[in-house]
Amino acid sequence: MGNTPRATRKYPASSPLVGYVLRRLGTSVLLLFGVTIVTFALANLVPGDPIAAALGEGAASNPATVAAYIQERGLDQPLPVQYANYIGGLFQGDMGVSLRTAQPVASDLAKAVPATVEIALLAIVVSLGVGVALGSLAAYRRGKISDQLVRVLSLIGLSIPTFWMALVSFNFFFLQLRIAPGAGRLSPVLPPPPTVTGFYTVDSLLAGQWVTFTDALAHLMLPVFVLSLFTIGLLTRFVRTSVLEVLDADYVRSGRAKGLSSRRLLFGYVLRGASLPILTIVGLAFGTLLSGTVLVEAVFAWPGLGSYAYNSATSLDLPGVMGVGLVVGVVYLTINFAVDLLYGVLDPRVRLA
Amino acid sequence: MRTQFRYVAAAFGLTASLALAGCAAAAPEATDSIVIDTAFTLETSDPGRNYVPTGYMVSKALYETLLDFAGSDESTPVPGLATFTQNDDATVFTFTLEDGRVFSDGSAITADDVVFSLNRVAGMTESKANFLMGGITVTKIDDMTVELSTETPSLKLPALMTNPSLAILNSKLVIENGGTTDDSDAAEEFLNSTSAGSGPYILDRINFESQVVLTENENYNGDEDIDFTRVVIRNVSEAATQKINLEGNDSQIAVDLSGDQVAGLSEGINVFSTPSAQTIFLLINQNSEVSSVTSNPDFANAVRYALDYPGLLELAGAGSAQATGVIPPSFLGALADGVEQDLDAAAASLEASGYNGESITLEYPNDYPVGGVSFTPLAERIQSQLADAGITIELAPAPFTTQIDRYVTGAEAFSIWFWGPDYADSANFLPFAAGQKVGLRAGWTAEQDSDVVNLAAAAENATNVDERETAFSNFAEALQKRGPFVPLIVPGSNIATADYISGVAYNSTWTMDIAELQAK
Repeated sequence: MGNTPRATRKYPASSPLVGYVLRRLGTSVLLLFGVTIVTFALANLVPGDPIAAALGEGAASNPATVAAYIQERGLDQPLPVQYANYIGGLFQGDMGVSLRTAQPVASDLAKAVPATVEIALLAIVVSLGVGVALGSLAAYRRGKISDQLVRVLSLIGLSIPTFWMALVSFNFFFLQLRIAPGAGRLSPVLPPPPTVTGFYTVDSLLAGQWVTFTDALAHLMLPVFVLSLFTIGLLTRFVRTSVLEVLDADYVRSGRAKGLSSRRLLFGYVLRGASLPILTIVGLAFGTLLSGTVLVEAVFAWPGLGSYAYNSATSLDLPGVMGVGLVVGVVYLTINFAVDLLYGVLDPRVRLA
Repeated sequence: MRTQFRYVAAAFGLTASLALAGCAAAAPEATDSIVIDTAFTLETSDPGRNYVPTGYMVSKALYETLLDFAGSDESTPVPGLATFTQNDDATVFTFTLEDGRVFSDGSAITADDVVFSLNRVAGMTESKANFLMGGITVTKIDDMTVELSTETPSLKLPALMTNPSLAILNSKLVIENGGTTDDSDAAEEFLNSTSAGSGPYILDRINFESQVVLTENENYNGDEDIDFTRVVIRNVSEAATQKINLEGNDSQIAVDLSGDQVAGLSEGINVFSTPSAQTIFLLINQNSEVSSVTSNPDFANAVRYALDYPGLLELAGAGSAQATGVIPPSFLGALADGVEQDLDAAAASLEASGYNGESITLEYPNDYPVGGVSFTPLAERIQSQLADAGITIELAPAPFTTQIDRYVTGAEAFSIWFWGPDYADSANFLPFAAGQKVGLRAGWTAEQDSDVVNLAAAAENATNVDERETAFSNFAEALQKRGPFVPLIVPGSNIATADYISGVAYNSTWTMDIAELQAK
């Protein structure tokens, strides 16, 4: 075996990894199709009159306006035809027109999604750094005061209502201490940077706008802090449990017996061994952050996916609701797909299963 | 142990450095700018297609209309871009443009611009504002004069001409960019990126989800004296955030604070509180197929006189007032006094109604506060007050989107709803008449009260203002005495500002005129 040429290690179409990827991809596409059916059905089964909600009392009393509105949006077609039109539009990047903003949903979401991804990415990075550090510390110091303290802190992080924490932290850091900026993605006097990625921090750096960059970064801090608390609590507890399991494993005891340094033991053995379950939680947490930032975005006037979802739902903007549902579905499927792939890469047993 | 400490220190260091970045970037300031926080309702900056409150606030700053309202008085239109006269039948209105007025590109405003702008709205059937031009014919008399005519008397027409949807556009510029006077109009995209009006401000940039930026119109030659050369209108949907932003001087005006929130504001902030134009009312269905109990007019009277209105008003906070009728206080024909609690009259009416203690279901939207008034505590207090009068109420809250279907189809026997004007005129409240839209939602057909039908017609067809005011008062009085509605509260509008700002005046259509804001 030792003399086997490396070329034979490439993955042919029949290799377990390629088959595994194709299977997962196929499943994701089917699930995505299911998501479109569910969001379309739910949006159209909701009681209420979206046309009246969109037009208002005055315009809804005007038959010409109602007729023109219905015809322009194809709402006079049977539901299966509307669904077929919706799917046909999706293939061309057309997600319909928002009843609330009168703008293409795809264009609305193109602005909202980067705003949410920007805080979610930063929140997950902060959560991962703090959560892994605190979880590892607690596991290494099992039963000691530091372990008890970390466990209590993580429980507090998990228990504090996000909306309340957002309001309190905004009040405290902005209004009382004056060390955080006000709500929104940028100070009102600053124009947004030219759009490249939709992330203000990245786009301002690309444009060489240092003031805009620091202002955008400052505006990210409080939402990221609030969003991170729950995820830090979750990750800390999970990392602690995972690390404790690995610490009891034979290969770690062997490594310790061989006199490996604590750092090498932690990164080379313990965290690597605990990485698969941690990866699952990080994936789920990231999905939750992307789809569950409604209240935090409301408090910080953050024009992201959560605000868009809330405003669409409360104004019966069905194309908007379907657009958000689809984006959230794609996000979860993509994350699950990525996590599954990483599982397959990290653990050969998975791709053979 | 030292290694572990380093990991923890690194984690906290990362957090601290992120926090320090927050400290480092203090918000830049611009003293000639003003920031207004409001919960957005915005879908276009094309005035002819706009029909939502934030859109009106923006349009009002960018464009001018033929007529205007002075301050918070919405009972009498005053000259805007034009003065007007009318014939005795109130069917022909002649508008004469003010000399020398120009658009933001410096070109003169002429009758052609008026004819195009109004006919554009009349021709765009898919525009939400289209109904405002229903039955109105526009004719150019000369370069500075335009005649608007209707087949029947229409004293509401001057008020309609204050509506920002009927703003006067630079017709040459708009036509060059796709503007027409029918459904083929394609100027919206152009008007979403620039403004083509004569208002004190021009559009700098707009994001329908986050903020609108306006800058001074250098060519403006109207009456307003502009103090702020740059205005930022931000979408802040959470009122608590609006309050904190204002207190922290991140914004200078907060539009959507509730009565409770303005009561707790810190020093250095002024509040302009006034009754809004929304009326919260009880609907008591007169259709016996919907309810054999509520359809008895005596039952409606029992409810009307059993309620303690000042007690209900306690739930509404600053700026609110008892609803004296379906017409709110700032409108023509509004009544001076509301119904007073009369427990003897309530008991007599209840007995006459034959009520036997049946439980009546009170339906209401529980997720849709109006002017800061949440319907759940209001419903609970009504339940308690009616229980004291011997009427048993069962509460049935539901989300707005679920509840509204039952309301508009007339399926609710007893419910709490609200009504606001589509434009600033008392004609907006005629749908409460028997046989009209809101009347029918309460199962009140024209045959059930021909007197109220006649009073509504008299108000609709009045040909002079005095006659019209009397007609609307008579209509409101009849509804107050025997209509299937019990007006409860006109919630307050509370516009909070930094104390160096003056000139705030509430308007039911455009909320406030940004151009009138002044630094003291």
